[in-house]
Amino acid sequence: MKPILTIRDLVKTFGSHTVLQGINLDVHAGDVVSLIGASGSGKTTLLRCVDLLEQFDAGEIRLDGEPMGYRVEAGRRMRLKGRELARQRSRMGMVFQSFNLFPHLTALRNVMLGLTKVRRLPVAEARSIAEHWLDRVGLAGRRDYYPSAISGGQQQRVAIARALAMEPRLLLLDEVTSALDPELVQEVLVTIRSLAETGTTMLIVTHEMRFARQVSTRTVFMDHGAIVEEGEPAVIFGQPESRRLREFLSSMSQ
Amino acid sequence: MQSFLDVLASSSGALLNGLMITIAVSAIAVATGIALGAVFGLALTYGGAVVSFPARMVVDIVRGTPVLVLILACFYMPAGIGLSPGPLTAGAFALAVFCAAHIGETLRGAFLAIPSAQTDAASALGLTFGQTLGYVLVPQAVRQIAPNLVNTAVEIVKASSLLSAIGVGELLLTTQEIIGRSFKTMEFYALAGGLYLAINLVIATGGAWLERRYRLR
Repeated sequence: MKPILTIRDLVKTFGSHTVLQGINLDVHAGDVVSLIGASGSGKTTLLRCVDLLEQFDAGEIRLDGEPMGYRVEAGRRMRLKGRELARQRSRMGMVFQSFNLFPHLTALRNVMLGLTKVRRLPVAEARSIAEHWLDRVGLAGRRDYYPSAISGGQQQRVAIARALAMEPRLLLLDEVTSALDPELVQEVLVTIRSLAETGTTMLIVTHEMRFARQVSTRTVFMDHGAIVEEGEPAVIFGQPESRRLREFLSSMSQ
Repeated sequence: MQSFLDVLASSSGALLNGLMITIAVSAIAVATGIALGAVFGLALTYGGAVVSFPARMVVDIVRGTPVLVLILACFYMPAGIGLSPGPLTAGAFALAVFCAAHIGETLRGAFLAIPSAQTDAASALGLTFGQTLGYVLVPQAVRQIAPNLVNTAVEIVKASSLLSAIGVGELLLTTQEIIGRSFKTMEFYALAGGLYLAINLVIATGGAWLERRYRLR
């Protein structure tokens, strides 16, 4: 079976600093891949490159075989135009650490925006899809609330509904519980777990080690912009091979 | 000697006409100024060097010049290129440009105050830059500058009195003409002041209502 997402030799630099030094990664349909590693190891940058929010310097990202973000013309790499980038981005969903809901729109309107403007669905249809997804994340009763009137956990669930309503091929989650108060983390993790159980393909950057171990089908450990170890979570967490992974895991369990 | 009320009765038509011109020229200036100010604001924030530089020049020149000088310039300078706008056109244009420069600058501040994460979220959904502007950035910026918008409108109404200098028969010039004939100086200046105040109270009240209605929640 062909992977949904393939990343080959991905290199990303910020000035003279190389943030990603040749990443290779495949994500298959139904995979839940968790990316773990210390702050600054390049996990979030990798996610942002995949979602085309960052440009990258070399290598290739393909979604369903289609090269993302760039085309090669006469041997030269050219960044795609805005409209093309937008079309490619609409096929992936992204959930951010700080939710990033649109503050001037209700929960329902947040979810509807992409449906009406990107997928160009009629308002009535968009509304019923948005209601379905808000219901799915347990927020049917909050659809007419503005983001500032609901809790962080609820905001994050709205953000998840907003991403999923677009029926993305792949859902990218960037430390989605890091900005939440401890008592609100569980409701978001429960939501994500239920998505994993229904076969949503996900690439998850997380600091919740227990969650990563329970929910993911594969775990990838990154350090200094490179993938050091990857495999089944039981192996990564149970029998880490490299010294750096062992050190990281012990620092996380303290 | 006529009483104040007699003069008022005989000149009420002229006064009403002046009041209407003040309201009309201010409304035109504010409406044009908002449209033009939106262009300035977008150019200053998202224009890149080529577009934002000329916009920055215009905005700085306009904001650094007294409104009266701006009005006189708009009235007298077009003759140099063979145009001869009437005082009303020149005056309304000057006020509109003044209004636009202020709104453009305020709008730029409002755009910059929106976290870049909002643009990320919009991009991630697949919105184009134009759609992101229209559905995410502009609605938030407008809510932020609403109080300033009311302020600017009030400033324009007051500044419209300067059009009397180029002979636009607005409220102040009309008042001065009535005083010239009747010598009721105190009474009619007080009346004119009261009328300006009344217009601005209406604007402020309307603005407050709009703000409540479209508050950034």
